[in-house]
This record gives sequence, C-alpha cells and structure tokens, in this order.
Amino acid sequence: MRPRPPAMRTKRRYILVRVLPYGARPDQKQAYFSVIEAATSLWGDAAVGFAQPAVVFCDAGYIVVRCRRGTEKDIATALTTVTAIADAPIALRTVAVSGTIHALKRRIKPIRPLPEAEETTLGEHHFTVYRYPRQKVDLVEKGIKHQKIVFFSEADLEER
Amino acid sequence: MKITDASVHPYPTGDSTLARMALEATDLGFDSIVAIGEVGRQPPGAEVLRGIVINAASQKEAIKRLREPSVRRADVVFVNAGDIAFNRAVVGLKEVNVIRNIHTARRNAFDHVAARSAAGRGVAVDISLAPIIRLRGTRRQRALERYADVLSLQRRYGFPLTISSDAHSILEQRSAREVRGLCALFGMTGAEVSEALASIGRLMEPEQPVKVV
Repeated sequence: MRPRPPAMRTKRRYILVRVLPYGARPDQKQAYFSVIEAATSLWGDAAVGFAQPAVVFCDAGYIVVRCRRGTEKDIATALTTVTAIADAPIALRTVAVSGTIHALKRRIKPIRPLPEAEETTLGEHHFTVYRYPRQKVDLVEKGIKHQKIVFFSEADLEER
Repeated sequence: MKITDASVHPYPTGDSTLARMALEATDLGFDSIVAIGEVGRQPPGAEVLRGIVINAASQKEAIKRLREPSVRRADVVFVNAGDIAFNRAVVGLKEVNVIRNIHTARRNAFDHVAARSAAGRGVAVDISLAPIIRLRGTRRQRALERYADVLSLQRRYGFPLTISSDAHSILEQRSAREVRGLCALFGMTGAEVSEALASIGRLMEPEQPVKVV
C-alpha cells in the first residue's frame, strides 16, 4: 500500500514527559493504558478518539506521547492527572512539545543516581539510598514488590 | 509577585520531607509553599510558610481553636468549610485567612452572603487541585462544579482565591503551567490563576495606607 502524500497526512504533535520518581522505568504498554485512562476520564471518548493519543517512546525515565496537532494542550492537561502506572505511584511532568520525535530526543537528559548507593533504616523498614543531583535523595524500601519510596534531601539524611 | 502553593503536607504526614518539597517547588516554578504542620528551620529552595488547619464542627469550637498558641504562631490559618451557617460565621473571624475543602461542602454552602463577607474581610477561598488530579467520575465532576460556582462568586464579589496542590508527596506537586491547565477545566483564565497563585503573598502583606514614620 502506498503511503499518503504528506499534505494528506494527519498533522501530529509529540509531547516529551519526564517520569517521577527518577528510578521508575515504566513499561510502554502500561504507560499507554494509564495515559488513555486519564485522558478518557477527563475529556471523554469522543475527544480522546479525535486526539488519538499514543505512547511512542518510553525509555531513560522519559515518555513521548503522540497526539493530533491542536489537541496537545488537552492531552498535556490529561497527563497531569496520571497518578499511577501499573499500580506504581508516578508523576508525569511535561517538558516540551514538538512536531518531531527527533527534536524531543535532543531534550532528554537522563537523570541517574550518583554511584555510591548505601543502606539505611527508617523505623523498622530497611531502605536503599539513591542520591541524585541537587541534593535529592530517594529512599527505596528493600523488597520485591510494592516498595515504599520516601523522598528526602541530603540535609534531612544528615540530620537523622 | 510571589507564586505560592497554598498547602503541602510534608513528612511524616506525607512521604516527602519539607526540604525535598521546597526543592521540588522551586523546580516547578514556585517561590514559596505553605507547609501544614511543624516547620523547623528554613530549608534551601522555596520559602516555607507555616500553615495550620482548623477542622471544627461549630463556630464555638473554631473560636476556641483559634486561641491556641500553635494557631497564633502560624503564618496562614485555614479552616475547613462546613455548612452554610458555619461558613458565614467563619469568614467573619479576624484570625481566619483561608477557607478550604470547599469541594467537600454541600452545594451552596458557600453562598453570596459568605462571599460578600469574605471580600470585605479579605478571607480567601482555597481551590485544591487534589480532587481534580486524584478523583475520577462523578466525584471529580462535583468538585469541578463547586469550583466553577466559587469562581462565579469570586468574579462578582472579588474575594481572594488561593490554589493549593494539597500534596502529600512530591509526586502530587504540579508546576505553575500545569496548574493553569487544570484550572482552565472549570473556566479560570490565565490571569485569574496568576492572581490566585499570588494571593498568599498579598494575605501576608496586605495593602495598607502609607504610614508617615
């Protein structure tokens, strides 16, 4: 099948979204389900059907959401109401909107924990300490499933 | 003009410490935050104001709570909205700065009489983004309906509005740009959002006639 000529194609916009917490690496399919659920719940089936949102990239703590041109503001608003992906609490922060994925990929700056990971206890729970730039510290509970995450700063950790 | 998130709930109520929330608020474009509960030393990042929430069943109980030393130390005093008589009475109290949880009150619990009184005394009404973000279906629709009603009263009588994320975690904090998108859902314009985000600053330092020293 021959592709449509460029003038006949639907114009798209791509939204780059950062995923919080920093260590979260959501599955692309699960991310798509969460985005669609949030958008449908907020704008309804008709509007979401017209906007055609889809998750086209999901890596390095970032997600790229594709939508029809002109609906990017509505989809960005819907993205702020996403609170979980596959039962894991997350937040999606809109970074940029562009007409090409290539332009958005230049804006991706992966945030990785500083190398020295250590352990600490909070009450009766054991946590792994992940340090991030700008004095941010995430404490991830040790376990296999549904680990609790507590968000500290460097000063809070020193004061304990 | 200081852009302020009118209430956050840091650790131990939430899962993020005050210092981390202040850092996150700075990243999200806020100049200050109001922390509900105890505030120790000022953390780096956004300025932290101390807020206290009074949850009272009657006007008498609210007045009693307002006399407590912890309430007197607070920068911003919030009172949870109740029925129509309670709300009318509470906006008349001098120590009260903000009425919150208006979305949980009954329809018309905050009416034109309370609105006129709030405008006269400079008492603000808080718009919490938490129900818009967290709730789904009819409960969110009801919250949006209440906020649209409050907005129509605000446009008529001119009382201040504040906007809060009511965040218990950094994952629930939202940027100033995202706040504009969420507030547009119930018809708030960008200029109104900017004014509401700056309301806490104006409540802290109200406009007064110039004094000759």
